[in-house]
Amino acid sequence: MSIVLEQLTKRYDGQPVVNRVSLEIPEGEFFVLIGPSGSGKSTVLRMIAGLNVVDQGRVLLHGRDVTNAPPQQRGVGFVFQHYALFRHMSVADNIEFGLRVRRVAPAARRRRRDELLELVGLAGLGRRMPGQLSGGQQQRVALARALAHQPEVLLLDEPFGALDAKIRVDLRRALRDIQSRLGITTIFVTHDQDEAFELADRLGVMNFGRLLEVGPPAELYQRPQTEFVATFLGTGSLLAGQCAGGEVRVGLLRFPLTTQVPPGVAAGPAPVHVLFRPEDVVLGANVAALDAAPFSSGKVESISFSGSFERVRVRLPAMPAVRAIAPPVSYGDDSFQVDALRTLEQARQAPLADGDSVWVAVRRIHALAYPGLSFLIMVDGSPLGQAALSVGGQMARLAHARVTLLGFGQPPAAMAQIVQAAREALGSGLAALETRSTPDSLVMAAAGECERNSFDVIVAGCAPATSPALVERLLESGPKNLLLVPQTLPIPVSALVSITDSEHGKQDVLVAGPLLHAMGAEATLLCVVPEAGRDSQPRTRIEQFLTDGARTLEAMGVTARTVVGTGPVVEAVRRQLDAGGHDMLVLGAPLADRSGRVAMSSRMRQVLEAAPRHPILIVRSRYAADVGPQRTFDGRIVIIEEVTP
Amino acid sequence: MNAPTAPASAQGMAGRPAWWPRGGGPRLAALAYLAVMLFVPLGVILQDGLRAGLGGLWGAVSTPVAAHALRLTFWTAGVMAAINAVLGTLTAYVLVRYSFPGKGLLNAIVDLPLAIPTLVTGVMLVVLYGPQAALGAWLQDALGWRIIFAPPGIILALLFVTFPFVVRAVQPVLASLDREQDEAAETLGAGAWTIFRRITFPALLLPVTSGTLLSFARAIGEFGAIVIVAGNIPLKSQTAAVYVLGQVESENRLGASAVSIVMLSVAYALVLVVDWLQHRRTAWVRE
Repeated sequence: MSIVLEQLTKRYDGQPVVNRVSLEIPEGEFFVLIGPSGSGKSTVLRMIAGLNVVDQGRVLLHGRDVTNAPPQQRGVGFVFQHYALFRHMSVADNIEFGLRVRRVAPAARRRRRDELLELVGLAGLGRRMPGQLSGGQQQRVALARALAHQPEVLLLDEPFGALDAKIRVDLRRALRDIQSRLGITTIFVTHDQDEAFELADRLGVMNFGRLLEVGPPAELYQRPQTEFVATFLGTGSLLAGQCAGGEVRVGLLRFPLTTQVPPGVAAGPAPVHVLFRPEDVVLGANVAALDAAPFSSGKVESISFSGSFERVRVRLPAMPAVRAIAPPVSYGDDSFQVDALRTLEQARQAPLADGDSVWVAVRRIHALAYPGLSFLIMVDGSPLGQAALSVGGQMARLAHARVTLLGFGQPPAAMAQIVQAAREALGSGLAALETRSTPDSLVMAAAGECERNSFDVIVAGCAPATSPALVERLLESGPKNLLLVPQTLPIPVSALVSITDSEHGKQDVLVAGPLLHAMGAEATLLCVVPEAGRDSQPRTRIEQFLTDGARTLEAMGVTARTVVGTGPVVEAVRRQLDAGGHDMLVLGAPLADRSGRVAMSSRMRQVLEAAPRHPILIVRSRYAADVGPQRTFDGRIVIIEEVTP
Repeated sequence: MNAPTAPASAQGMAGRPAWWPRGGGPRLAALAYLAVMLFVPLGVILQDGLRAGLGGLWGAVSTPVAAHALRLTFWTAGVMAAINAVLGTLTAYVLVRYSFPGKGLLNAIVDLPLAIPTLVTGVMLVVLYGPQAALGAWLQDALGWRIIFAPPGIILALLFVTFPFVVRAVQPVLASLDREQDEAAETLGAGAWTIFRRITFPALLLPVTSGTLLSFARAIGEFGAIVIVAGNIPLKSQTAAVYVLGQVESENRLGASAVSIVMLSVAYALVLVVDWLQHRRTAWVRE
């Protein structure tokens, strides 16, 4: 193996930006690391080069452990996004720098320099200064410079990110050509999937510091194993479905499974996510015109032309028991959209216009194992811990979720007993059950475990009314949904969802929906009008807002009602909890400030106090994460030029 | 906007006459201020010093006392500038590249010499190195080094007074340098010293030079600190500025003006060079 990474981890401010990344890259491979900005891909590259210190794990280059070696001793070539050429040196001096440092004789140096200028297509430009070259030429110089000392490994950190489209394509070809001629093991970091697909022998997809999947580009595109990879690479539709005996069901419709059964899916019916790509979608004026399994009919929403293809966006009406995972349902909408890609020939034969009715069929489907929700249940043998175990366990069983039981805050001997008892209490009916224990406190234990694995819900025994500070610390520990259980209760079936009529409120509904669906609870959406004033305008607007929310929840498979409250929020919540017979309260998480601290408003504390005996689910939307702290790494200025593909 | 309302376009926007340039008011005020504050005094001293012609000027400058004062001024300023170039760059490097407790305080102290009266600087040095002070006495007895009333005292005083010049010239340039160039050099196998010598320092050459020249120009005219530290011993520790004071006091106006003109010309030439360097640097950065 040319490059081996073992459990590589890097933290900034305690948060892991690279989280246990393990990878093996054989000799001569062109490996592309792709992910959205902030996913940790550049940090991985910099750790391999020795430019960032490794917090945990190991880096091996050709079997040599270089984890703690300085960059000078690693024998890598590194190409930066912004070239990083030595501005006061000529092109020739730039390229010769690595050789000069190694005290190579002048004659040999000049020979090597001319060779490299030839290789990167800049022969004769050695006397120029970097400032006299175009961006593309400068990056060619940087590549030549990185190759001069004949490194064993070539690392490129978004090398073409600052260049325009045409030059990128030229440079891509040139790079691939040079790489295969030299046979040098290469890691190329990018956020551009065209680049990734064209260059990669193998591709690694990163998100939130984790390396999610590794494989050849075609494999990852056609048969992704995770939801993120399915939606990040290429476009397509992802729907919730069922898999049983070589057949995939989406709602009432059945498709033969054309790719292999997803690993980990049993013979019996199992929930899956169904992926189809725009090129697999067939459009026809009627069912007879389709040469594939018909899916539904809808209206053409837009048509866009992209060179050799035509992209048709069709909006399909809500179908019973069909839920869209991606593109995500938008607030106030229960229909979903499907993209179809047609050749211009097909477009000529059956022209379509905006607003036309069409039938949609799907030629090929890929089913991803849907791992189900994942719960982290915190137990410590106390009555509160037992309450978390009882309520969380029942909910997890209903949701057919994966559960991690985490014992905390007790000495190891007592812990083993507690965890064993909890394990027996949970019994069977779960997708998976893991147990772990730690003597840490509740907050520390939860934070540590969330770093190791990602969870949808953390269940903790906690009376939020009496310990708001504990809730704040738990919210700070990670972007997770939090279920706080104050006492042992029967499983909740009717949730009161208190939202504000804002973007934040919309996001809360979109996050809470799938959780409530999995738990089988119904929802009542509550929004409060400050004063029962004469002006009816706010009230009408809020009613519309709630109706949209209820429609969205229905599309996610959650039975929903709406209530408009009046007067102080706390009073409205208390009244509705009593009157509506709700047995759970759902709230949106307060936003973290720039330093990552979470402080609940006094109103939120009062709302928590209004429900002292109810389980409270605090949902954390992406919105909260986006306006939260933006981290820049070790104080360097991070130039953000990334575009989401 | 080309609505042809004839009277408005003839009168101009503010109703001023057509021959009056845009921004004429502020421009005139600034030029008048410059003339009164700078040009007139400069003109007067030039006229005064050249009253007896170039020969007279040369005669006044080349008396043994005046020539010694000028030589002493320039060589002490030169030694100071050399020390300042090295240590000022080092200070700036430490302030930009390292973080340590008390860094903010140190950064603020750099400007202190600009704020304290130079007389006070002189007094501080006399207290520290004077023959009555412990350190001064020891240096003189054990090593035979005489600091106060001697050139070393002058150099120390100048170093103190001009300390901020190189630091503040280098600091912003160093802070704005692209660290990726250093990182690139590291991956190419260069050690810390090589990186400083081959990558960092070439980029700092212009600010170091201009800071050094400025400190030299500033040092030529230093009076307050030196008159305390060096005293006023002709042919021994009397610098040009102190000499000028002596000539003014003994009503030898030609002697005072002539030496002043030499100091002034050297300082102005240096300022011109610094300006040219700054210009080159901005042009180079833009390219």
